[in-house]
Amino acid sequence: MSTAYQPDLQKNNLKQYFQFRELPILLYIIVIIIIFSTMIDGFFTVKSFENISRQITTIGIVSVGMTLVILTGGIDLSVGAILSFAINIGGQGIVLGWPIWLVYTVMLALGVLLGFINGFLITRVAVPALIITLGTMNIYRGITMVITDGIYITGIPSSFQTVGYGFIPLVFFVIVLAFFIFMTLQTRFGRNLFAIGEGGQSALYSGVPVNKYKIISYVLSGFLSALAGIILVGKSGFIQPQAGMGYEMSAIAAVVIGGTSIFGGSGSILGTFLGSVFMGIIIAGLTMLAINPFWIGFVTGVLIIFAIALDSLRQRRKG
Amino acid sequence: MIDIQGVSKSFPGVKALDDVSFTIEAGQVHGLVGENGAGKSTLIKILSGIHTEYSGTISIEGRPIRFASVHDAQKQGVATIFQELTIVPELSVAENIFLGREPVKLGGLINWQEMRERSVEALSFLDVPLSPKTIVGTLSIANQQIVEISKSLVLNSKIIIMDEPTSSLTEHEVKQLFLLIGRLREKGITILYVSHKLEEIFEICDTVSVFRDGKHVGTKKKTETDRDDIVKMMVGRSLQMLYPERTGKRQDLLLSVKGLTREGEFEDVTFDLYGGEIIGFAGLIGAGRTEMAKTLFGTVPFDSGEIILHGSKKLRFRHPSEALATGVAYLSEDRKGEGLMLQLTIKENMAVSILKKIAPRFFVKNKMEREIINSYAEQFKVKMVSMDQVVESLSGGNQQKVIITRLLMTESQVFIFDEPTRGIDVGAKYEIYKIMNDLTMNGKGIIFISSELPEVLGISDRIFCMREGKLVKVFDNAEADPEKIMHVLTGGEVA
Amino acid sequence: MKNISSGKAKTFFVLIGVNILIIILLTILSPTFVTYGNLSAVMQRMSELGMLAIAETIVFISGGFDLSIGVVMALSGAVAGTLNAMGVPFGLVILIALLVGVGVGVLNSFFVVNLKLQPFIVTLATMSILRSIVYALLKGNVLTGLPTGFLDLGYFYILKIPFLFIVFIVTGVLVAILLNKTITGRKIFAVGGNEQTAFLSGIYVGKIKYLVYILSGLISAMAGLMFTIRIRAVIPDAGLNAPLEVVTAVLIGGTTIYGGKGSVLGSILGILAMYLLLNGFSLLGLNPFWNVIILGIILIVVVGQEGIGKSLKMLLPGKNREMEAL
Repeated sequence: MSTAYQPDLQKNNLKQYFQFRELPILLYIIVIIIIFSTMIDGFFTVKSFENISRQITTIGIVSVGMTLVILTGGIDLSVGAILSFAINIGGQGIVLGWPIWLVYTVMLALGVLLGFINGFLITRVAVPALIITLGTMNIYRGITMVITDGIYITGIPSSFQTVGYGFIPLVFFVIVLAFFIFMTLQTRFGRNLFAIGEGGQSALYSGVPVNKYKIISYVLSGFLSALAGIILVGKSGFIQPQAGMGYEMSAIAAVVIGGTSIFGGSGSILGTFLGSVFMGIIIAGLTMLAINPFWIGFVTGVLIIFAIALDSLRQRRKG
Repeated sequence: MIDIQGVSKSFPGVKALDDVSFTIEAGQVHGLVGENGAGKSTLIKILSGIHTEYSGTISIEGRPIRFASVHDAQKQGVATIFQELTIVPELSVAENIFLGREPVKLGGLINWQEMRERSVEALSFLDVPLSPKTIVGTLSIANQQIVEISKSLVLNSKIIIMDEPTSSLTEHEVKQLFLLIGRLREKGITILYVSHKLEEIFEICDTVSVFRDGKHVGTKKKTETDRDDIVKMMVGRSLQMLYPERTGKRQDLLLSVKGLTREGEFEDVTFDLYGGEIIGFAGLIGAGRTEMAKTLFGTVPFDSGEIILHGSKKLRFRHPSEALATGVAYLSEDRKGEGLMLQLTIKENMAVSILKKIAPRFFVKNKMEREIINSYAEQFKVKMVSMDQVVESLSGGNQQKVIITRLLMTESQVFIFDEPTRGIDVGAKYEIYKIMNDLTMNGKGIIFISSELPEVLGISDRIFCMREGKLVKVFDNAEADPEKIMHVLTGGEVA
Repeated sequence: MKNISSGKAKTFFVLIGVNILIIILLTILSPTFVTYGNLSAVMQRMSELGMLAIAETIVFISGGFDLSIGVVMALSGAVAGTLNAMGVPFGLVILIALLVGVGVGVLNSFFVVNLKLQPFIVTLATMSILRSIVYALLKGNVLTGLPTGFLDLGYFYILKIPFLFIVFIVTGVLVAILLNKTITGRKIFAVGGNEQTAFLSGIYVGKIKYLVYILSGLISAMAGLMFTIRIRAVIPDAGLNAPLEVVTAVLIGGTTIYGGKGSVLGSILGILAMYLLLNGFSLLGLNPFWNVIILGIILIVVVGQEGIGKSLKMLLPGKNREMEAL
């Protein structure tokens, strides 16, 4: 065997990742844009895209956190509850007249705390994340309702609405995306998430601190849920205890449609972004077609099943 | 270099390693051979850090060690390439090589350049044209293995253990692997090479250690021994085990298998099974016996060939219920994964086969259920406090008896037993042999798959040797002996 | 009963004990608790969720998971109300409403058996899909106008016990008989115990799973009709909280999430305990928002205990993990 060895000195790994996984979803997006553009007048306009982008930012940010958790082989049903808890409880500070930076800090800290509780329970108790987060989802929502007594918080100072103004939510979304895409591609923690989700002994044998990293992924998910909540408050101008209802479904949908496997171990944040875009476009298109908003849940559910069926096929072909 | 002194390890009912002592010299390729269950995999698991509880001492370069985990073993210089590779398919070659220890720059960012350069270093040392960027999931198994070997290099491992490394490799890939091993040895790394393929052992190893029944039989330099010698050491033992006397006569033809083939698993298998006889299938890992057994039972399809029952009925079962209805029963080698419902009781586990019997008119008659199960349990001496005991709490031997009893209750004609006495204590083994013997006295036929030569010889009327999917030779019990069989199984000439 | 193993008997005694404890506590703490009015209201209210618990018990025992039970409840009511408003003869309406439950069961099992998808995610998705259909059918409205003959079943008592409660108990008994005294029941336990083993023993695992999800859908549809009778209307949000309550109750009752073990009686006692508790909370004037908090905590604690039990076993000096080496 001659030394035909020529190491390929390419600078980064990014290109490789773009080539395979995200291509199908990109295609779906293009197809659906074409379909809607032909069906609907005024779909392919700047204004409608602006609309869509505003809508997808909140759930989009939550989906990023969900991606991390699902990559490690877990799941977080409590994201919506954490969002609501963070903004409602933290929002009490607004009522008390606290300065904006303090309120935001408290909200984010609450997200971190609740995420930590999730992670702690999941790693300490040998029970599926599904069940734990089903429980914590209800606990967090319940506490939110008890403390707020069902009352909306209104009359929020306009300083809180800066985050929700115009393109700013999108900016946040892009920053979050960039940060986490970077993290999952360029940091040890990010790369190890794939190893943890792979399911075998690889991560454990190689000394990856599995439990610690899992907890961190839930903490990040909680943090991002709280962040999304802050932006939601900025956009809507009030805080309601029912905030974030159903976000877990939409987040899961964006994640699996974007190509991340529900079993863990493979996927990407970029894919999740495209998944949110896809869902955002579909919802916007359906709304413009004057289809009842009730149908959104239907579409979400169908898309999830479609995505996991595809993923299941992919997994079986691999093995 | 590695000094093993008085190492023993037991599991409930089985002594996997019995006072093992020997030395592995530094910088050599040291082969480890023995039948399945001889103790080599237990030893490997101890050396790689999987088993942390054992008695005895192990010293590396004079320093006594006791690994707390696989990671710990790696840190101390012992890397293991398991049969089931521990690569992460989604990540690149370089990332796999550095998993858990990725070189980082400020802020936790991966230092790709360093990672790439060091991977390239390892890969070019091994003279393998792999790019560090390639996603490992797209590589062949041979190349994935090379990634694991590169990993051990980069870990600065002093010792690399390879467990049956060639089981999934082509001939060409095996040659490539041997070249790699040569380079590793040049670097002064000690290699522990576990394999059942004696021709490989003799090609690549400097020294060979033989294990048998949990004991270390001997260690010899390649130059001081030969194939016959090794085989003798592998099988030579005083026959302490008693087997029931086989006095039955051969009866009618039960099953006729002609040219059974399944691509990649087994090829052109042909044999007959008569009532009243036990035919033993001997073979080493990868011989294809279990796949063939599953094909007979209908859970694995076959590509070509015929299975004929009672001389006339051609069989192609599509579901185990068809097989059971026709009188073919199968005992899986995977007791816990496929044989038992661990969280359920003895009664619940056993009742599954006799469901129709205990519910004559639609409703299950609890009393009848208990009576039937009690009588069978007594007959086959299943040790239990009550039939409502959860099966998980039973010993291996008793668990196996529960499964066997369940099979017997189906009153089938043909029984396929796949490794029925694996991991079971001596007393229970004898009882199972007795059960098998009694079955044949009643005219049933048994296909008996086992990796333990003594028992294959002890109880089979005819012995079928399978190697790499082919039925290589058939011995009558009278003319067979352990050495002859082992020769055939490990690739020796078919005399 | 002779054939209850000691572990099972212990669970039952604990459950019965817990129930008695709650009853005693509430009797002391609240004057209105032991009144006929209160007790019969509790019995009525727990009937539908009791049905859902029975349905979920069957699914858990088979090793599966069904999150769609609540939405099927809503859907059957919605279909019934809609068809009734269209003038369809009521007998047919009932039949179709029940068939809807069966249909959902078929849908769920198709995804689980034929496409081999995980039951939790599948039923999470179908839950979302079907809830949309409910909203679309009802257009957000509450429907009324169902035949009074039907609705008055809610006022029907046999020996002073609400009719709906009797339906619940009878269903429970029938299912218990199915599970414990028929071959099919044994097969369901076997599939939950170990699918591979059940398969190798000749059981048609796919068929059993279809049966299980269909039963679950059917019973949930019945629960939907019962709910409609009780509140004398059809609402789009029916069964929204069901998954949490039902899963918690079933797990309290001793059925495991892993399959192979469980009992209808346990689930009934679990639901009883839960409803007595919730009733007590409301009688004592506890903020109703506390309900989900406490349920969530109970869920985690109960499942956690079982999980801790398992992980403790795993921690025993490496024994059990190493046993897998054999």
